[in-house]
Amino acid sequence: MNALVEHLRLSLRLHFRNKMALLYGYLFPLIFLVAFWVLYRHEKVPLLRHMGELLTVAVLGGACFGLPTTLVSERERGVWRRYRLTPVPTWAIVTSTVLARYVIVLTAGLLQLGLALAIGMTMPEHPFDLWVAFSFVSFAFIGLGLVIATLADNVPAVQALGQCIFLPMLIIGGVAVQLASLPLWAQHVSAFFPGRYAVEAIQTCVNGRGLPGARFSLLALGLVGFAGCLAGAKLFRWDAQQRFATRAGKLWLVPALAAWVAVGLLAEWRGRIGVSVDKELPPAPTRPATPPPGPAPVAVTPPAPVAPTPVVTTPAPVPVPPPARTLAPPPPPPPWAKITKADTDAIDFQVPPDHGIVAPFAPPDEPPEDFMKDQVEGVRQKIATWPPGSEGDELRCIRNLLYIAAVPDAIQLPVERYMPRVVYEHLLDTYPRETLIKVLTYIVQNPEAGMVIDDISDLGIEGAAGDPLLVRERAYLYAIKFIMRLTGRVEE
Amino acid sequence: MSAHVVVRDLRKSYAGVEAVRGVSFSIEAGEIFGLLGPNGAGKTTTVECLIGLREPDAGELEVCGLDARRHPHEVKQHIGVALQSTSLQDKITPREALRLFGAFYRERVPAGELLERFALTEKADARFETLSGGQRQRLALALAFVNRPKLVLLDEPTTGLDPQSRRELHAAIARMKHDGYTVLFTTHYLDEAEHLCDRVAIIDRGRIVGQGAPRELIAQSKGLQAVTLVTSRPLELARLSALPGAADVAATDETGTAFHFQTADATATLAALMRLLQEARVELLDLQVRKASLEDVFLRLTSRKEEAAA
Repeated sequence: MNALVEHLRLSLRLHFRNKMALLYGYLFPLIFLVAFWVLYRHEKVPLLRHMGELLTVAVLGGACFGLPTTLVSERERGVWRRYRLTPVPTWAIVTSTVLARYVIVLTAGLLQLGLALAIGMTMPEHPFDLWVAFSFVSFAFIGLGLVIATLADNVPAVQALGQCIFLPMLIIGGVAVQLASLPLWAQHVSAFFPGRYAVEAIQTCVNGRGLPGARFSLLALGLVGFAGCLAGAKLFRWDAQQRFATRAGKLWLVPALAAWVAVGLLAEWRGRIGVSVDKELPPAPTRPATPPPGPAPVAVTPPAPVAPTPVVTTPAPVPVPPPARTLAPPPPPPPWAKITKADTDAIDFQVPPDHGIVAPFAPPDEPPEDFMKDQVEGVRQKIATWPPGSEGDELRCIRNLLYIAAVPDAIQLPVERYMPRVVYEHLLDTYPRETLIKVLTYIVQNPEAGMVIDDISDLGIEGAAGDPLLVRERAYLYAIKFIMRLTGRVEE
Repeated sequence: MSAHVVVRDLRKSYAGVEAVRGVSFSIEAGEIFGLLGPNGAGKTTTVECLIGLREPDAGELEVCGLDARRHPHEVKQHIGVALQSTSLQDKITPREALRLFGAFYRERVPAGELLERFALTEKADARFETLSGGQRQRLALALAFVNRPKLVLLDEPTTGLDPQSRRELHAAIARMKHDGYTVLFTTHYLDEAEHLCDRVAIIDRGRIVGQGAPRELIAQSKGLQAVTLVTSRPLELARLSALPGAADVAATDETGTAFHFQTADATATLAALMRLLQEARVELLDLQVRKASLEDVFLRLTSRKEEAAA
């Protein structure tokens, strides 16, 4: 035990003396955090919806690069061969190395969390659960790091193998690119990557239901971690002369790979490929229903419903009321009818620029590029008869039409700049200007009301946003941008 | 005095090739024992089996009264090892390294004592990456003593060191003998083996080909004297081999003008050599006659094995 503690203490001390290790272990995750903060700067609670991704990146870097790099470089230098000459058992040295790495990734995670809180993120909903989920994530990726260390004969090989795992996990594994933005095939593939479960487990504890909502993810991470640690222990190499290619017992890699496959198949079997419910839940519902007036950047905040709202992934048919047989009292005036000019003027019109990446809006004289012309024209032709935008009252139709602009923006499709123009022109053709101003002002005041449409594939725009909160936010921004044009605040 | 190390009929193969073929020797307590042999002779494999880095195929290994094959962890409590190239983490200091390795054993020597003993006090808190080759090797030796070992194994400890560092290390090994440690060390510097070891074993092609005190081995060479000569023109090797008493004649350069051989009767051999040179009208440029050294014994034993193998 004394050996384990001494080795753990020294491993940590040496880590903090190594500038490159500090750079990769701490600065790199912080750069990711700042990048996400800038990218999603219009969200009301900064970074809250991205802590799953950010903390996963921190653990991935520390466990899949940092750990095997340390192990392999020490093995190459003969340090492990020297350890082997002592009576201390293998498990003690490996355990202390793993514990040291856990402490390193934990401190990197705490640093990220601290910085996120400093720039305005609210406290995670379930801090203890978050720690538990983080530990499962660390266990899974440290197991993976041990496997990489056994496979790699030298440090460059660690980098190559690490990238082979890191990059797919970032891009199609749900770690850096939100699953909802990925095509369905990629979502199926992501089910076989532990990165997806890492993000889900952490995110659920940050702004979801906590551990009860992360049971499957924790199971998946535990399985992947156990299999990785088992393979890593069985294939452990003390000596750089023991080349992997010449080693016996390579079959121990099978359980490590089998765990990934098993987790993916289990997810398929249980129908967990779509975006999980927890992810769709909005952050803590503590915000007022209407944006407060004032100079604060209210206009660019994401709307948050007071209570969870129903989510539809396909446009629901609007029920047609049965014809009245008897004289009924006149219907009450629509809620937007009471909107005044003062209400419209009270809106904070600070919105992202039209040429930015959030709520972009192509000018009227900018034609779409050739490859997307058909798509834009297709929407222009179908929009007038699109049931969610043409059936029902004005409020429902206009809100649904806003989603035609919001969904491509949330998915970040190439046509995102041109959809607002199509919608805006359709609105001008369909509704009186005054009605439009009032309805849009009402929507801005009540951004969380109504249902969300996050799939407009029947208009020829493939892909689902998957995140209703994000779609509402973008619809809200476009509502303001339309009002600015309708009231002359923006001249075209 | 009881034997601290007993190796009996040790065998080890790699991919069907026998690297060690029935090696046997023993080392008494307080003795400095040298294991000599050319590269690939099997000495490192023998040592690695002894210290638990490799599992022998067959044979008995006894260290400090313990069966090293059955109780490798217990044996490691009693031995100290300095490998040919011990490298530690760049950022670790000698003091930290000694404390860390000390924590691995039941019995340990305070780091300060070892730093002083191996002249590392001034570098106690310097990072490993800043130490010279000699300082690194002294640290490796200090690490071998961190558990007050009963047996110290040094695997080619002086390889790659500058003359000054080698001399310091020789002094350190001599001090080990003075302090009563049992030492097994491998080397291919025969002068240091002759100078430092109480007994040596010469290993070649996986077998012990000679064993005993250096003086005894030299004496066993039957009073042979080593002769080296340089001539102005090439001479036929066969004519030199035909000289009375000459043995193990070999050309030592490619021009055929430098030779080395041994003889049991230097007077007769040299008289015949002079006659030969006169007849052949070849001028003698250099001639040296000296008593046989361990190196001569080593060359004789290992070359005979080569001939036999050929």
